[in-house]
Amino acid sequence: MSAPEDIKFYFFHHHHYSEIPPDEDKYESTMVDYPNALYDPVKGHELYKRHLRTVVLADELGFDGIAINEHHNMVYSMTPTVSVMAGAIVNATKQARIQVAGVPINLEYPNRVAEEYAMLDVMSGGRMEFAFPLGTGMEYWANAGTINPTTARARFRESLEVITKAWTQDGPNRHDGDFYTYRFLNPFLRPYQQPRPKCFIVGTGSKETVQLAVDYDMGYSIVFVPIANQLRAFNQMRELAAAKGREIDPDDLTVVVMAYVADTDEEAVREARPHIEKFFSWFHRVPPKYLVPPGYVTTDEFLRRVSDVAMAEGKKATWDDMVAIGRIACGSADTVADTIRQWCDEAGCARVNVVCELGDMPEWKTVKNMTKFATEVIPKLRAGGATVAAGDGREPAAAGVR
Amino acid sequence: MAEYREEHYDVNGIDTAVLTAGEGEPLVYFHGAGTVTGFDSMLPLAERFRLIVPLHPGFGASADDPSIDSIQDYVLHYLDLFDQLGLDELSLVSLSGGSYMAAWFSIYEAPRVRRLVLGAPLGLRIPEHPTVDLFSVPDAELLSYLTADMSVFEGKVPMPPTPEFLAERYRESTSWARVAWNRPYDIKLAKWLHRITMPTLILWGDADRLIPVGQASTWSELIPGAEVKILQGIGHLMFDESSEALDAVAEFVGEGAGVLTKES
Repeated sequence: MSAPEDIKFYFFHHHHYSEIPPDEDKYESTMVDYPNALYDPVKGHELYKRHLRTVVLADELGFDGIAINEHHNMVYSMTPTVSVMAGAIVNATKQARIQVAGVPINLEYPNRVAEEYAMLDVMSGGRMEFAFPLGTGMEYWANAGTINPTTARARFRESLEVITKAWTQDGPNRHDGDFYTYRFLNPFLRPYQQPRPKCFIVGTGSKETVQLAVDYDMGYSIVFVPIANQLRAFNQMRELAAAKGREIDPDDLTVVVMAYVADTDEEAVREARPHIEKFFSWFHRVPPKYLVPPGYVTTDEFLRRVSDVAMAEGKKATWDDMVAIGRIACGSADTVADTIRQWCDEAGCARVNVVCELGDMPEWKTVKNMTKFATEVIPKLRAGGATVAAGDGREPAAAGVR
Repeated sequence: MAEYREEHYDVNGIDTAVLTAGEGEPLVYFHGAGTVTGFDSMLPLAERFRLIVPLHPGFGASADDPSIDSIQDYVLHYLDLFDQLGLDELSLVSLSGGSYMAAWFSIYEAPRVRRLVLGAPLGLRIPEHPTVDLFSVPDAELLSYLTADMSVFEGKVPMPPTPEFLAERYRESTSWARVAWNRPYDIKLAKWLHRITMPTLILWGDADRLIPVGQASTWSELIPGAEVKILQGIGHLMFDESSEALDAVAEFVGEGAGVLTKES
């Protein structure tokens, strides 16, 4: 793959609830059944203000976009109705594109999602992008039982059909589906961007979700899974698209990167590492059962997962594991820029979701990190040439942290 | 002790396994939402009856069919199977989720069912005595909800569980989720239980942690003339735990012709 000329950087912000209780070890999960008595709305209010400040700063610093997502019943995310936050961000920012990535559409009626998103697109004057997730296994424990994990994938596909139909075909339309019947599919608000805003499927790289992206002419945005899996998914997408005569543009592929920039590699690791570890050990704490409700994956896929000792035993990832398999770019501006360039190069992608606030990071580190990223890393990559040319054999990435 | 013959039938495209043992009047057993303990505990019934144990689609040796996603689908599946087996009249014995199916089968098909035994039936919503939602129970506690006698799992649950064992449980759990994820009861069931007009026995262990014995009186009020028998100290998997449960079945279905000989 050749490096794309211009990489777009989306400031991906989780909106964590970052208050950690003193007896944190006693909780087996911070998702699904983590007691909501531990949510302090006053602290939550302060955190919303901080999160919005952070996002506004990202806009001012010149990130190409801001990406936000939705999860339920978890400290990981304070945006369980992500479009509400998007409405606030639309009004608080000026330049950046805003990617809602997004409502797990199975949890809502698809016409509502089409309306909600069209409304945001019109309000923002066409700054919106949307990425559609199936929703993690946890969402199916946290939401109404009528959203059955055994039919999640079929429902997801039909919802996409309804949403794209609502946006791209003049109404009123009729829809007679397996899950939804619409007598008058005719949402009055149409998207500002015609025929529709740029869309992505969010996934872990399964063939099913890659196929959906190809079928619905959308991009693919991959979540935190090992790099090898990401590359395999992108290659598969190029192959499946080619079979339909579509060429995948680097702008259709997004990777997600955890980044921390400091003056030296050593300083970056020292400042970021405890928060990245906390990201995995606290914000991502979940028993395997919640990851895979019945029918969420096939029996064969389940067998594959339980046969993987590390996954089955919920093995605690070490720092070396995290750095080795994931996209953690932690170091000086040169190190981080080189790393990201190399990743984009090998993935053939021109979009990077950058996570700058990691776990329980204090605000000063977030601000320092995102400022350095915007002012020192992005220019190196936008110019089309990092300080060290890609492919010169230098050990990639986070060389300083291995 | 008799042994099962395993036969397979193509039921409307679903490869359906049927275990059969013994001769005589047909007694069909509908198992619950898992097959971990197997069905050997039912074999003493084969001394007296033609014991027929079909494996539900998506369970054990029967094939998966994602389109079977309601209790009514199971009822129709069994109408097809019983037609193939030539079972114009049968007695139906059941446990748990199988009793949910047996109740609906008997509502639709009362003339075909000579006698009915509902073991710890699932299906009613009784807020005073709520059914535990097995999907939500933490893995480590699951077995303890199923029985008052953990020895029933000896030799049947590998320790630690193998990936293949876990995957088979996931498969059966998926099959059951198609039916019961939305809700583990049917708000219409109470309205129609009066159509169960054949002699009916409601059998319950008073140590059932999954579906509490307190539900038994509601079932007996809704099914005209139903008898109730409570088994002392017995948990949910009553047929694995107690020969008393089998004796009650034999006596009720055999219309008082004595208890089974104790042997295994």
